[in-house]
Amino acid sequence: MDILKNIFAGGRIDFAGQAAASSLSTLLLAAAAAAALAAGLAVQRLDVCFGVYALGVVVALAAVMPPWPMFRRHPPVWLARCPAPQRRATVEDVSD
Amino acid sequence: MYNLLQRLSGVLSFAVSVLMALTVLIAVTTPLIPSSPTHAVALHGVKTTTGRPMDPFDKTSRAAEHARLTFDVDADLTSMFNWNTKLLFAYIAVEFEAPGFETNKVVIWDRIIRNPRQAKLRLRRHHNKYSLRNFGLTFEGVEAANLTLYINPVPYLGLMYDRPMHSIPLTLPRATPAA
Repeated sequence: MDILKNIFAGGRIDFAGQAAASSLSTLLLAAAAAAALAAGLAVQRLDVCFGVYALGVVVALAAVMPPWPMFRRHPPVWLARCPAPQRRATVEDVSD
Repeated sequence: MYNLLQRLSGVLSFAVSVLMALTVLIAVTTPLIPSSPTHAVALHGVKTTTGRPMDPFDKTSRAAEHARLTFDVDADLTSMFNWNTKLLFAYIAVEFEAPGFETNKVVIWDRIIRNPRQAKLRLRRHHNKYSLRNFGLTFEGVEAANLTLYINPVPYLGLMYDRPMHSIPLTLPRATPAA
């Protein structure tokens, strides 16, 4: 189970990489649909059309799912660690 | 999109939406594909008889007048096959007006054409496949009868529609009583 968790819940990429992955996958799927329509119309076969589209979906998944290095070029910059604050008493001493 | 599962889910969801758009595009552009079918129907004769039992499940069919048509059909429908055509349903219907019933449409012959090899229709002196009779018992008062060849292209994706091809007028005579 841990292996599966590492595979599927891992593969983190930074924020710039996420934006790039999102637009790249949109572009690739739209291009796959256009290529499928063109290929199907050329040979006049519906199964060729949907087969080309399925291949395009596989290409889009391969381009975006694995955490490629190009999606990890800009890692987030975290602030330096501050010293832990002292625990202060929350009740003030009110003596009248 | 921060981890692998998120990217998998997002890409697959969008892929299904794009697939839906692709199928709608194919269905909508199919009627725009040009086709040039040739069609010709010729009628040789109409004979009306009565007194013969035609339908074992219809008690009135023995007394009703049934018309028997002899016709020729010549059609070349190969150009109606495109990538989105599953089959062509060709049928011949007789439409007429009868007293009490404004529109009547009776299908007297049909054929399923599954590929362009079967798309050349050549019928010589053919009779009707299905019986032609009025809703009433006789053809009394039946007017404006015509014989029409229809083609109904059944697509893989999209809507079906009837396409009338060739229409010729005909008269449905009364049965002459047996001498």
